[in-house]
Amino acid sequence: MLDFFTIFSKGGLVLWCFQGVSDSCTGPVNALIRSVLLQERGGNNSFTHEALTLKYKLDNQFELVFVVGFQKILTLTYVDKLIDDVHRLFRDKYRTEIQQQSALSLLNGTFDFQNDFLRLLREAEESSKIRAPTTMKKFEDSEKAKKPVRSMIETRGEKPKEKAKNSRKTKGAKKEGSDGPLATSKAVPAEKPGPVGPENGVELSKEELIRRKREEFIQKHGKGMEKSGKSAKSDAPKEKGKKAPRVWALGGSAPKEVLDYSTPTTNGAPEVAPPEDINLIRGTGPGGQLQDLDCSSSDDEGAAQNSTKPSATKGTLGGMFGMLKGLVGSKSLTREDMESVLDKMRDHLIAKNVAADIAVQLCESVASKLEGKVMGTFSTVTSTVKQALQESLVQILQPQRRVDMLRDIMDAQRHQRPYVVTFCGVNGVGKSTNLAKISFWLLENRFSVLIAACDTFRAGAVEQLRTHTRRLSALHPPEKHGGRTMVQLFEKGYGKDAAGIAMEAIAFARNQGFDVVLVDTAGRMQDNAPLMTALAKLITVNAPDLVLFVGEALVGNEAVDQLVKFNRALADHSMAQTPRLIDGIVLTKFDTIDDKVGAAISMTYITSKPIVFVGTGQTYCDLRSLNAKAVVAALMKA
Amino acid sequence: MASADSRRVGDGGGAGGTFQPYLDSLRQELQQRDPTLLSVVVALLAVLLTLVFWKFIRSRRSSQRAVLLVGLCDSGKTLLFVRLLTGLYRDTQTSITDSSAAYRVNNNRGTSLTLIDLPGHESLRLQFLERFKASARAIVFVVDSATFQREVKDVAEFLYQVLLDSMGLKNTPSFLIACNKQDITMAKSAKLIQQQLEKELNTLRVTRSAAPSTLDSSSAAPAHLGKKGKEFEFSQLPLKVEFLECSAKGGRGDTGSADIQDLEKWLAKIA
Repeated sequence: MLDFFTIFSKGGLVLWCFQGVSDSCTGPVNALIRSVLLQERGGNNSFTHEALTLKYKLDNQFELVFVVGFQKILTLTYVDKLIDDVHRLFRDKYRTEIQQQSALSLLNGTFDFQNDFLRLLREAEESSKIRAPTTMKKFEDSEKAKKPVRSMIETRGEKPKEKAKNSRKTKGAKKEGSDGPLATSKAVPAEKPGPVGPENGVELSKEELIRRKREEFIQKHGKGMEKSGKSAKSDAPKEKGKKAPRVWALGGSAPKEVLDYSTPTTNGAPEVAPPEDINLIRGTGPGGQLQDLDCSSSDDEGAAQNSTKPSATKGTLGGMFGMLKGLVGSKSLTREDMESVLDKMRDHLIAKNVAADIAVQLCESVASKLEGKVMGTFSTVTSTVKQALQESLVQILQPQRRVDMLRDIMDAQRHQRPYVVTFCGVNGVGKSTNLAKISFWLLENRFSVLIAACDTFRAGAVEQLRTHTRRLSALHPPEKHGGRTMVQLFEKGYGKDAAGIAMEAIAFARNQGFDVVLVDTAGRMQDNAPLMTALAKLITVNAPDLVLFVGEALVGNEAVDQLVKFNRALADHSMAQTPRLIDGIVLTKFDTIDDKVGAAISMTYITSKPIVFVGTGQTYCDLRSLNAKAVVAALMKA
Repeated sequence: MASADSRRVGDGGGAGGTFQPYLDSLRQELQQRDPTLLSVVVALLAVLLTLVFWKFIRSRRSSQRAVLLVGLCDSGKTLLFVRLLTGLYRDTQTSITDSSAAYRVNNNRGTSLTLIDLPGHESLRLQFLERFKASARAIVFVVDSATFQREVKDVAEFLYQVLLDSMGLKNTPSFLIACNKQDITMAKSAKLIQQQLEKELNTLRVTRSAAPSTLDSSSAAPAHLGKKGKEFEFSQLPLKVEFLECSAKGGRGDTGSADIQDLEKWLAKIA
């Protein structure tokens, strides 16, 4: 069922790997790492890659990653539990190997985990299988001859319970507590009424079970006494009146409402119930099978208890050492510890103009990255979280692809074709202005530029570009460049089809030997479907080398919507197999925002594309490249 | 707090050394009512000793013993790391964080280095380089020779950054470019890779100097690689850059032994 299960260190060493099918798991897992773990999208723990669904779990204390992969079409309900079980077992079994700082112990350690894993897998698969058919069988067999037997057992089983209850009332709390629950738990598996409680009690004597129930009993002592009488009465008639299997199914839930004492027996009782049922229905020999199931269910109980018990014992021990430990010892972070700090961080990010959704996702991802991590002795939760968040932010702003426009232009030049850049964005963000700045920068680097005026909609758009062209050619007259026209405007007036004009411009540039074509498009709101279609068409038809999205740094939550819708429009209307999306971002009006630089984070997080240029003013020279560290510093500044 | 303590200790010692009468009176006091003063002196001494030890340990740690394995994603850094340490083959995934281990050098003196494998992913590599470069004794830049033609621009860009960074360090590390994956038939030779990288770095010098300045104006103009007005060559650099071929995977599948003797020799040389 599973395609693979792999355990590797964050340093990249595969410690152990289970291959369900022959395909290598390296590809999908690398895809998971690169597109989820390294992109700070670690909020939820599943990821779909081609035909596979991957689920993962991070162990931040020992720097391990657990990944399981299975076919997307399967809905495997046991996977989450399996990962948890494997994680726990692996950690406990190889604690010494994985604890060390040096990678050498990881390398020398032998992780012969196959048998344990197969056992866990089998258990998990069985538990899911057992649960599935129960409903079916119940319906079939509900009216069959089992019924009288069943009801008999029920009543018999119920009686000792009541007895126990009664004795509880009269006798001392502790002893009775141990007897009582035993009787109840026994009543379930006991097929024959004969042997009854005490014997079975000895047989079973699950210490944990007893102790837990004892505790609960002590807690519930007062309540239990009051209600037991009532509950016993109401229970008995129910058993008789209904059909046996159904009663059983409800029996799990009914006591919760009526019999107050069975509620605290917690998961144990309902867990035991369904397997028991099957065995009855299947008519298998009660002894062996039952025992087996009991074993597995007690495992479950043990697991459940692991979580509950420590809290009980900690009450006394932890109280004494807790304070000292908190002061001196290194402790691992829990989500509760971080909660308040993360809330504060999130508010801080939002205050810095990061889109709200993204701030939430970021904090979520940081939390999952830190959970379980052991803090240094002198570091506080706040400083640890802050540090992690800062690293994540730098990581986000680090460009995922090479952005060296000049290098690519040189390449295009060698192939004797123009390098085409398309600018798009919503209205009034400064597309034309920044286009002019970029053409100035290109001219300074001795590349000739053709500006294509494809904004055929807004009044004055062409004139604006014409003015810029005049200014730029005054700065770089042909005389200075050996009689070569360095900058020229390609215009076709208003109301024409933008895609056509762009195409003509590119052809013109190729003939005239221009190095770069900058295509200016009309501003459009992301919700305007016809205009978005037109843009998608322009990009599909002309296949520019670079599609730049121009966005203003003033934008807040809107940034998400803009980029998502622009990207979607480009994807939806593209005919190609891999649609052409936005390649980079120009962040404008950066000089107006002081230290509220959140838009940079929002935009890069959504697209995971780099910010190529930053516009910082009104003159031609006010063009900058982004410095991740400076932006993050501004962002983290209180 | 610690520094304040140490200063007090220093003052006490200095006064004791220069002014004999004070020392005498101190001795008298010691003889008169012993326990409190004595314990104070002992405590101060302990603090001083701890500080000295601490400083000693710290200075030892920063003495550059680290060999950094850097390079792009999928160039084989982690496998090389494993091979150097154990000689065995291991499956690897994209690294999310660094891993380090002590490496016993293959020479008669038996000195040891710290091998550090840095992640190669774009969003991580600069951060990790920043963190570890100060402790670098040597840098091994791993190149995937099989896909080199396709990735030459990315390789050159990262190499440019690493070279600039390591030139900026106080004592420049030894630099090696390991052309990995020589077991693949289409792999480029070290000679060819060197030529292509020189050419690419030459253009990169031009485009980098022409790039718009960064946001914070405080950052100084970046240093220049090689000699101005000349085609770039590795020999122009102030640090010696060596090339060698290796293959971490080895010839025959998973069981084959790696071809990394040259690399081991180089590491023994620089240790």
